[in-house]
This record gives sequence, structure tokens and C-alpha cells, in this order.
Amino acid sequence: MTDVTLVEAVNLALAWEMEHDDSVVVLGEDVATNGGVFRATVGLKERFGFKRVLDTPLAEALIAGTAIGMATQGLRPVAEFQFMGFIYAGMEQIISHAARMRNRTRGRLSCPLVYRAPFGGGIHAPEHHSESTEALFAHIPGLRVVIPSSPQRAYGLLLAAIRDPDPVLFLEPKRLYRALTQAVEDNGEALPLDTCFTLREGDDVTLITWGALVQETLRAARQLAEQGVSAEVIDVATLNPLDRETLVCSVAKTGRAVIVHEACRSGGVGAEIAASLAEQAFLDLQAPIVRVTGFDTVMPYYRNEQAYLPGVADIIHAVEQVIAL
Amino acid sequence: MKHFRLPDLGEGLPEAEIVEWQVQVGDTVDVDQVLVSVETAKAIVEVPSPWAGVVARLFGEPGDIVHTGQPLLAFEGDDEDGGTVVGELAKSDDEAGEDSFIVGAAASSRQARHQRATPGVRALAERLGVSLENMQGSGPGGLVTNDDVHRQASHQKTLVDAEPLRGVRRTMARNMAVAHAQVVPVSIFEDADIDDWPSGADITMRLVQAMAAGCQQSPAMNAWFDGDNLSRRLLAEVHVGIAVDTPDGLFVPVLRDISNRSSKDLRQGLENLRKAVATRTIPPAEMQGATITLSNFGTLSGRYASPVVTPPQVAIVGAGSIRQAVVPHANKPAIRRILPLSVTFDHRAATGGEAARFLAALIEALETD
Repeated sequence: MTDVTLVEAVNLALAWEMEHDDSVVVLGEDVATNGGVFRATVGLKERFGFKRVLDTPLAEALIAGTAIGMATQGLRPVAEFQFMGFIYAGMEQIISHAARMRNRTRGRLSCPLVYRAPFGGGIHAPEHHSESTEALFAHIPGLRVVIPSSPQRAYGLLLAAIRDPDPVLFLEPKRLYRALTQAVEDNGEALPLDTCFTLREGDDVTLITWGALVQETLRAARQLAEQGVSAEVIDVATLNPLDRETLVCSVAKTGRAVIVHEACRSGGVGAEIAASLAEQAFLDLQAPIVRVTGFDTVMPYYRNEQAYLPGVADIIHAVEQVIAL
Repeated sequence: MKHFRLPDLGEGLPEAEIVEWQVQVGDTVDVDQVLVSVETAKAIVEVPSPWAGVVARLFGEPGDIVHTGQPLLAFEGDDEDGGTVVGELAKSDDEAGEDSFIVGAAASSRQARHQRATPGVRALAERLGVSLENMQGSGPGGLVTNDDVHRQASHQKTLVDAEPLRGVRRTMARNMAVAHAQVVPVSIFEDADIDDWPSGADITMRLVQAMAAGCQQSPAMNAWFDGDNLSRRLLAEVHVGIAVDTPDGLFVPVLRDISNRSSKDLRQGLENLRKAVATRTIPPAEMQGATITLSNFGTLSGRYASPVVTPPQVAIVGAGSIRQAVVPHANKPAIRRILPLSVTFDHRAATGGEAARFLAALIEALETD
């Protein structure tokens, strides 16, 4: 076991898989010589050489498209976008080609690639370095959207994403990159995709979240426990396809759900989860499903960042609302 | 160069004006040495150095405005890698945390605990004053339907509305439930022959004083027991709670320190308590602190009983109706006055032997004149 941060866990997983699978290559802006904007790829070029760790031009459409070409021809590329807000230039490649390559070629070609990108706010960065637009991608059939929330899950889920035969968008909560250190066993063991993770068991309310807000949600659950409210905390982890079964199972038990996400409210993944719960757990609900989210606005500059981000108090307030019913 | 940025000087002030540099380029400074005086909207503040080192560069002249977070001065050496090119990443403290989780849903042994009903049905039930608890739904999977609620509502109409318990009766209900849930009660019964008592003897006083004798024999019976922490407190003084029946419910005023008071004094005290109960003027303090209880139900009717021990007390004595009975006396059948006694005790706190010795001492005290 090694004590690592989330970004170090990403690095460990990349190194493990490159070591054990020659078809894995890493590409992106400044990933090789510089080691990556957040240092996620530090040391990989030195270890595996510049043929497998490629610095690309500043052209996201090219990064996205090159990865598709590599993937269809037998490599397993892991492409890095420096920030989620930079992916948009590559959207055409991702949506029109990567996500539907298997379908369009009737299974003759597949696209085993991973697009990595840091996402979310809270590090005092400008707005297009801070947003959470995961819903844009979770809407696309054929594109997996996976978000780890701890070093262990970053390690296990990234390995699973690389080994998956289809494209995965792997969004890393950059606020957590160095914010917590946890013991991770560097043994190459993947965690399952397409499943939620129950981080805390409880009976009174289910708190559903992902990404960096998992930390605030766990803190809220601990404070609620002191008030006598037993909260179950679920890290959704894979936003597409959604593990509805776990969510419904938990809400059937607790009868109450609060969904917490950093992204804007309207059309967010929280809305999809709320709709699924209303359809499948309707008769078990004791209170309306409540969302705690960012606002329907562009992510503000950093002085107002904390006002935008949902916090522990917001989560507790929402739980108090639904517990009262 | 290693940059030192203007820290937040408190109260969220966004900027400060450089008043005077206290160090020059090339100076060697220690941790906490004053680097610069700056003026904020509130005061002149001296900014101490966070590191020891050699000053490489000063950013700004006296009179310049520096914003919080902007570089103030630089030390020689390399800037620490913050791990990002924009913003700042929060750093974990050195302590490695734990990460435990369940893949998928937590196994739950519990069925969905709630009555299944749509919000519409719940709203109807609330409007009609129908509780869904314990209701058997007739819909698919036990779903409570509108018809079920209407049926229950008309059923409730034919009954009188339930009367909510209030005051003493409510307290009694609560206390008895708690006692029943906690105490492990055992009762023993025996008769006392009181035929030798002078006429007009004060039965309650005799019982109270006999209980003092019983407690002296078995101190475990005059105690407070804490079942949560499994501890007990043996008490030196005996404070007897006297159960008093009233139309409003059960009152238990406390007759204090019975071992060290005269019979007359006790009788007067008891009369005062009874009067206070009858007029409902008894202060709550007078009903607290009993160490053992007497229920003299015999003044009404009944022979034996298994009265309820109220935690933290350990024992309660029940006295039934005095009757005449044919019993052996001096080797012959004789008609004697008999007082039936019941002792219930919490077997968590006292042994059967202690209780039996208590009862024996009680009877001995009653039968001895």
C-alpha cells in the first residue's frame, strides 16, 4: 500500500497499464516533457519513451481525432485534455465518431480509448477552467462518463476505463487532486464501471453525489449523524450508463433523496436521476426529491466561487427540508 | 525565484498599500521577521516572513497598491511546484485518510419500512385524519388506495374519537412503558399476621416503618440502579414513594428519610402530601427522589399484586386488603387478621435472597409489636 493523492493515483494507474499493456499510449498537451498541467503524467515519458507518451499541438480536435484513429487500429490511447472547458473543440470527434464508431461499423471497429480531463471548480481558476459540464457528455449514447472521487477509485476506475473496449470520458475532480491522501494498493486491480459506490450506510435519507462534492456530502452526513439523522451516501461514479438499481434500492430503503452536484441545475445529471427515482421508487418516496446544485449561470470568477459551489450547510439544509416531511 | 504573495490580512480586505519595505534585495531574513509595512483600509499591518531565505526581488514601491494573492517579494531558490498552472490546488495534510466503500448498493436486511401509498392517497389520508400506519393496503403489493382510506375514515366515524392522554395519566403511561421495557421483575408474596395490633393502629405508618427495617436488612433493595451503565447506588436514607390513586391518575409523592423520623411526624408529612395531591398543588419536587415505593392498594380492594418497579428504583411493596382468616395460631385454628404482602424487585439489581430477606424482615417488623 502506498499513500497517494488522487492525481498520483492517476499516474500510478497509467504507469501500471503502460507497463503491462504495450498498446497503451498517452497523448495530450504538455503530457510528455512537462509531465502534464496537473502533473498527472509525470515520469511517464522518461519511463516509456516519447513514442508512447506524445506531446501534441494545442489542438483539441486533433487530440480527440488522433486518439480515435489509434483506437480503431489497435492501440489503447489515453488522451488528456488540460481542462474540461477545452474539450468542446474536440466534441465533433467525440460525439460523431468515438461514441458511435462501434455502432456505425456494425461492430467491425471499436474505440477503446480514454479521454481524461480535470473538471470542476474550487481552485481559484478562471471560469472555463472550473466548470462541470458532465451532463453534455452523459447524454451521448456510446460514451461512458466516469468520475472518481478518491485516490482508490481514481486508480481502480481509470484501469477499468483503459481496459474497457469502448470510449470512456474520465473526468477528474481537480479540487481533490492533492486535497486528500489515501492508501492505494498498486496491484493493477480495476474497480467495476457502471456501478455506484455506497460510501456510508444510513436509513433516513439517501445523499447522491459524485466528484469533489463527495467530500462535502460525507461531511454533511457526519454532521447530520450528530443531529440524529442517518444518511446514506452514494458516489454515482459512472454517470453514463447510470446504475439506477443501486439508487432505487437505497431510496426504497430511506424514502428520501437529496442529489448534490456542482454543475448547473437545469438539465443536469441530477435531473435524470430524479426522474428515474420518481419513475422507479415513487411509491417509496416520503418527500420530494431535492437537488443541491450550482446555479444556472456561467461559473463565476474566483472571488464568487465559494458562493457558487454547494457547501455542507446547503446539503444539511436540503436534508432538513425533506426530513421534515 | 520563490514568490511570496500578499496573504489575506484578515476581514476579507482585497488590497493593501505598501508603506515601507523593512528589507532590501540581498538581505537574509528569518521566519517571522517583518518584511514590509502595508496599510489596509483598516490599519497599518506588518507582514512577517513565512520562510527564511535571501530576498531576491521586491515587487512594488511605497505607495503602490498590492492585491491579495499578488506577488509581494521573491526569495532566491525555486518556487515549489503547486501542481497546477492556474489557480491553487488544496493540499492534503500529511495524515493519510481511510477510504472504505461498498460496490453498488448496501445490503439491507430491512424491507422498505414505509406504508406504500401515492402522495395523493397520503394527502387524502391526512385530510380525513386517517393514519396509514398498520393499514393493510388492498392495492397491488399492499399499496394503500383511495378506497382503503375512505373505508378507514368511515370506520373511524362510527367510533368515538380517541382521547389523547394528558398530564399525570400521560406520564403514567410513559413511565410504565419504560419500566416494562427495562426492568426484570420478580414478585414474591407472603402474609403477615397483624391480629396483635392495638385497635386503631396506623396501617400505612406501620408499613412504612417496616419497610425501613426491611431495607436495613437488605440494603440492595433501597438503591438506584443504572441499567445502561450497569451500576448501582446503595442509598443510606430511605425515601418511600407512596402511590396515591386519584381520578386524574397515579401520583407518587415521596415521604422522606423515614428511618429517622417519628411516627407522628411521618403521619403529618403523609397527610400534607395527600392533601397537596388532592388539591393538585403538589410541587413536582415532592414527587421525585423515591428510593423504594409502597402501593397500599388494599384500602381499595385486592389481595396480591405484582406492582411495577419504576427505574432507577429497585423494589416496590404492595399491601393488599386486610382480611380475617382461619390460620394456625398457637397450634390451634384461630381467626386472625391477615395482611397480604407482595414484593416486586428488579432482578437485575437485587438477588432473590436479598428480596426474600427483605420480605422476612418486613413481616417480622409488622408482626412484632
